[in-house]
Amino acid sequence: MAQPLEVHQLAPEAFLEEVHSFAFWFDSVRDYLDGLEHGRSPHTPEAVLTPLERDRLVTVLCNYCIGETAALEGAGGLIQIAPNRQAKVFLATQTVDEGRHLEVLTQRLRELGVADAEAEIARRGSRSLQEFHRRLLELVRGRDWVAALFAQNVVLECMEFAVFGLHARTADPRTRELLAGIVKDERRHMGFGENELGRRLRDAPYARERLRAVRSELDALVLRSFEETLDAIGTPRSERAQPGRHYLDAVARLGFA
Amino acid sequence: MTPGDPLQAEDDRNEARRRFVLDDRGFDEVPKKYRRFYRRWEGPGDALAPNEALCPVCKIVVRSTRELRVGDRLYCMACMTRLVIVSGDGGRLEAQVVY
Repeated sequence: MAQPLEVHQLAPEAFLEEVHSFAFWFDSVRDYLDGLEHGRSPHTPEAVLTPLERDRLVTVLCNYCIGETAALEGAGGLIQIAPNRQAKVFLATQTVDEGRHLEVLTQRLRELGVADAEAEIARRGSRSLQEFHRRLLELVRGRDWVAALFAQNVVLECMEFAVFGLHARTADPRTRELLAGIVKDERRHMGFGENELGRRLRDAPYARERLRAVRSELDALVLRSFEETLDAIGTPRSERAQPGRHYLDAVARLGFA
Repeated sequence: MTPGDPLQAEDDRNEARRRFVLDDRGFDEVPKKYRRFYRRWEGPGDALAPNEALCPVCKIVVRSTRELRVGDRLYCMACMTRLVIVSGDGGRLEAQVVY
């Protein structure tokens, strides 16, 4: 499409068509992924980690892998039940993003000396997050669009966006770089979830009760798992509220204050 | 722009509204042709210009070529959010999500 004089003068329908398109996604990611290998510059040095620091980082990355696996399987499954073409195309791009995230995180585990990433993820993974993964796929298989989208693109993506951003501030250079790249993708994913649900709730307010029930079930699982992660990455108590606040702001905008 | 756009009509009536030339501030999460409309929030030392608003969803600074007024429409392409400018606490202009 021709470059508009002022992007904010696009009609709302034209804006939605543009930002949900494959072309928009492709033009967005190709520049920030170009030249990277496994989500980071091939020249980024490896930090010297103590055995304890390395062990904690491996545990954290294993939990991130569970979250990304849930998002990969969830996004792929949601394509079938998405109510419109724009959402289906967007979810196809999200599925690719999630696959990339899982791959770069797994590669980082290998760099840290983990020989069998899948076994390590199963061994170290948070039970709360594994339970969240199971419930998310149940919602997808049950073709419960609003509940599954809320669980994945609001609950999970909001928390990942906040926690990855927080972790990136203090992580070693390689981990920081790949987390910063993931956060760029997560911004689209959580925005898609909130806006899609916001439009759905505007048109079908009866869906609010369903979401309230899903939220009460899943909130605790995700909050507990991220609390464990914040412990492992050494987030000070004073900054603990930030990931939760980001999520609570989103649900408040959706009318669940 | 849509025909009969009320935002443009309001703009035409108000010649005092300042115009801004937007430069590319290195925000690389949207296609190149849209980059000048966005920048990262730089933290406590940062300040919003009269043509800028903070996206409440993803905390990216959304920029316009004109000074913002209450009722203006903005789009955050980084998180796919439609926004409207409202008068917040103390009369400060801020962006609110429109679903």
